[in-house]
Amino acid sequence: MNGHVKSMRFQQFMEPATTLLSLLLVMAVDSTRIVAASRNQQCGNSLQQTLKLTRLVQRESVNLIKTYKASQGEMAEHLCKASVNNVPDPNISGLEPSERLLSIYTHLQDFFPHFKRVYEQQTDLQSTTSPLLRELSHLNASSRNLADLITSFYRSLFPNLPVPEPAGGPTTLPPSQNVFQQKVYGCVVLKTFKELLSNVPRELRTLKSKVCRRIQIYTLF
Amino acid sequence: MPHLLLAHLLIAPQSPNLEIGTNFTATCMIINTDKFTADDLYWNLSQATVSRDQYTKINESALNVTVPIIGEKSEWLFCLCKKVSPYFALNKDKCIHGIYLTKGYRPGKPENLSCQAVQETEYISTTISCKWDPVGHQTTNVPTSYTLTVAVHFSSTTYNVSTQENHAMVHFVSSFPTHMMLEIWVEAHNKLGRIESEHLKEDAGWFVKTNPPSDVKLISEKSFPTSLLINWTHPIPKEYLKLTYQIRFCPNGSQSWTYVPLVDTAMDIQSFRLQNLQPDTVYVTQVCCKNSRNGSGYWSNWSTNATVRTSEDRPGKPDLWRIIAEGDGINERRVQFICKDPVLANGRITGFNIRIQDQKVPSPVNRSESGSFTILQQIHLADKKSVKVYVTADNSVGKSVEALLVIPEKSHELKVWPQGGRLWLEWKPPNSTALSEYVVEWVSGDQTDWQRENRNTRRTAIKGNLEKFVCYNVSVYPMYSGRTGKPASTAVFLEQGAPLEAPAVRLNGKPGHDEAELVWKELPQRRRRGFITNYTIFYTSATKKQKITVPADTTSYTLKSLTGNTKYDVWIIASTINGSTASFNHSFTTLKYAPGEMEGIVVGVSLGFLFIVVVTMLLCVYKKDAIKVNFWPRIPDPGESTIGNWSPDYPLKAERPKENGLCGVSVLDVDVCDGKCVFEEDKASLPLKKDKYLSEEHSSGIGGSSCMSSPRQSVSDSDEGGDMADTTASTVQYSSVVASNGYKGQTPNSQPQQAIFSRSESTQPLLDSEENPDTLLQDGSRQSHRFPRRPCSTHTAGSDDGTNPGDIMEQQGALESLDFCPLEEDCEQPTADGQSAAPVSNYMLQLGGYRPQ
Repeated sequence: MNGHVKSMRFQQFMEPATTLLSLLLVMAVDSTRIVAASRNQQCGNSLQQTLKLTRLVQRESVNLIKTYKASQGEMAEHLCKASVNNVPDPNISGLEPSERLLSIYTHLQDFFPHFKRVYEQQTDLQSTTSPLLRELSHLNASSRNLADLITSFYRSLFPNLPVPEPAGGPTTLPPSQNVFQQKVYGCVVLKTFKELLSNVPRELRTLKSKVCRRIQIYTLF
Repeated sequence: MPHLLLAHLLIAPQSPNLEIGTNFTATCMIINTDKFTADDLYWNLSQATVSRDQYTKINESALNVTVPIIGEKSEWLFCLCKKVSPYFALNKDKCIHGIYLTKGYRPGKPENLSCQAVQETEYISTTISCKWDPVGHQTTNVPTSYTLTVAVHFSSTTYNVSTQENHAMVHFVSSFPTHMMLEIWVEAHNKLGRIESEHLKEDAGWFVKTNPPSDVKLISEKSFPTSLLINWTHPIPKEYLKLTYQIRFCPNGSQSWTYVPLVDTAMDIQSFRLQNLQPDTVYVTQVCCKNSRNGSGYWSNWSTNATVRTSEDRPGKPDLWRIIAEGDGINERRVQFICKDPVLANGRITGFNIRIQDQKVPSPVNRSESGSFTILQQIHLADKKSVKVYVTADNSVGKSVEALLVIPEKSHELKVWPQGGRLWLEWKPPNSTALSEYVVEWVSGDQTDWQRENRNTRRTAIKGNLEKFVCYNVSVYPMYSGRTGKPASTAVFLEQGAPLEAPAVRLNGKPGHDEAELVWKELPQRRRRGFITNYTIFYTSATKKQKITVPADTTSYTLKSLTGNTKYDVWIIASTINGSTASFNHSFTTLKYAPGEMEGIVVGVSLGFLFIVVVTMLLCVYKKDAIKVNFWPRIPDPGESTIGNWSPDYPLKAERPKENGLCGVSVLDVDVCDGKCVFEEDKASLPLKKDKYLSEEHSSGIGGSSCMSSPRQSVSDSDEGGDMADTTASTVQYSSVVASNGYKGQTPNSQPQQAIFSRSESTQPLLDSEENPDTLLQDGSRQSHRFPRRPCSTHTAGSDDGTNPGDIMEQQGALESLDFCPLEEDCEQPTADGQSAAPVSNYMLQLGGYRPQ
């Protein structure tokens, strides 16, 4: 009788406890989802911002090439068809998303010394009020901003992976050149940079589908 | 420091910056002496000694003071020593120490920080301008500075700029950090502290203010009269910023803008269609833009106006109405259909089309350009008939829908007429069985009266005392057991008369050149004494009188085709069926010139004068030589004479033929006066000269030059002539110079000693004209020109008897009929004996003696 009563009392105790536990579980899962959704949104926003800046820099690079050709005089079209050594590779490499994202970053970094060299060369060839110099400077600043955004995005996605220090290392600048070579070199640098930028949005979109969604999955389970 | 070493007092802290409203505690310490203690110290704030209540003795050598910091003016706080010993007198400067209290306020937290980067060409400016509202006070001794900080996230770049103002600008390196996150704040700081404003952490695009959209165009399409299409161009490439737009529009001239809801223009669009507009209306449209991200960015300025007129559309329904007046016949009305332009004309209304009841083809009516409505048509309509009228309005696009107006048959519910000095009524009963009785009411001004009639009554006479010439409103009320039904009413006179007066007519404004607008007021009811049927306007000028009849409901009329600068008298006659009354005259004078006419005249006259002046000047220029010859003839200059070239051996024989060919006659006209004068002078001179005058000296001029080509000089002996003049006034001595050489410049006389001298001693009476010395003086020259035309032969024939009066008269008559003849014309065949005949026959009247050439 007592046991039965005890059993009855236990059962009476268990019912609200079960309900409470269920409620807590539901709340936990829900809060996890909210956090996951929030992180996913943040990832998407960062990526979106990076994409916007990429498109802007791409547009500026296209305009810059036009301005460059217009300011180089005759044979400008042929300048860009030549090939020059030591210009960074526009192709993005790596297997993992982290590697590919890092590849974008390092490729961008590789171009900055070349931009500087082209700017110095064109400063000698152009007047100080030339729109080319202004646009070169503008593109350089925008590209650095893009590199900063990508590294920030990389750090937010892969906080435990190291980011290689920029500058110096593998980038090799060409030796001294004559005027014609300078013109060819500048155009090839800009053209290659434009190719790199045309590859970046595709990569970023791929990353968005792979990385941002994966964050949500990781968080849920 | 040496000074401090010598000093006996020292205050801590030194030169503090103090916040106004707080208390400040300072400590005065005695150093380098034991001549006095803290009890001997006291504090002065500026000039005033601080109360000892505010002192706190720390020990024997230190004394605190606490003073409230009030007022913004900085001041000195001194610690001094009382004059307690002779030592003080000797070391006075060592027993005082002061500190300067700099007062101020803590900086307030800047509020309302806002930053803006504007568009420059295609890019966004590399400068971002920020402003904020300073909070709190500051003093001149403790000024507040601000440091604006702009941090570009992810790139670890931070820009700082300091200012004393409440605004500052930050210049980015190379380019505006588009699509980067910016964190902006301002820090206020002074000697008393520092504080930061709220941080603005937004995407860089949040701060951008772009240019307004460019190339805004409004396109009107003929097939969409209530719609306009707006096109514009993005002011900045969408890679920089995605924009949302705002559109506003209003009819031209209106300042009441209509804004297109933002939800309709939130997309990244470059065109928009405005709808539900009014056709044929000029609209003005403006567009502005801002960052499309919600809640961010600044609206650009509004674009420039884009203006266009919507296409015309079919007009709306015209506003049709009617004027009903009593007709000329019995049981007939005169109905005039009038029409205003539709409220929605949707273009320019060109005309109307009116169709009355059964007409199949509507009649077109041109729109009246004057007045507010167009009179469409007037008909006479029987009281018992109704009519439907359909009217459409036309514009360039098409016709409007029909406006319908029904004129019902005249109501005969109540008929009132005077008869036998009473007013009789007849009415139709209402269709109701609940009718109990009728009440007949008549009202005039403030007087009311009524009478009741049986429910079966259809006709009755008003039983009250009615006055003549007073308007009564008569009503018949059906009564339903005490409840009043809808009455039938009409206005009526027991008897009508001529109005007591006519309305005073006056001009509205000033009269024009050929028109004047007359206005008058409606007569008061009590002055009418009947129903006014019409007004007749009379207007007369000095030459004609005209009249115009206008309807009774008219209160103004414009007289047209008046004569300018004419006085008109105008009056008006108000008429009832039983008489008319005229108003007083009103006079006005039309303007002499229509507006602009005077200006036209002045311009015309000026142009005409200018034309004449120009033509005259041209004539002067082109006919210069002719004018010069006519007005300033060339006078021969003796100095240019060829006499100097004459040969002294001029052959005399060569002159003979000329002498023989002599035909001209030179006449010396000598009138009485001249004769007298000459002879009187000669009387004095002649005795001295006694000899003969050379005709060169006394009868030169015409007489001496006209006809005589003989080289011989003529010499006149005036002895007898002088005597003759003395003896009779009616006779004159004619002296003829038959041989004269006139001008010195003419062919010289090579034989002066052989000059022929002839004299006439005629006693011929003076001619009438010759008797008048004045006339003679004036005409002398002219007459002397005439005489030579007389044929020489006549003189030759008659010269035998120089005293023959008949010959003289004949000669005179001939002289009067002749005029001057040039030398060539006077040529005549010489007589056989020219030498003897000439001196005898050629008498010539010499007037005035010598005349200069």
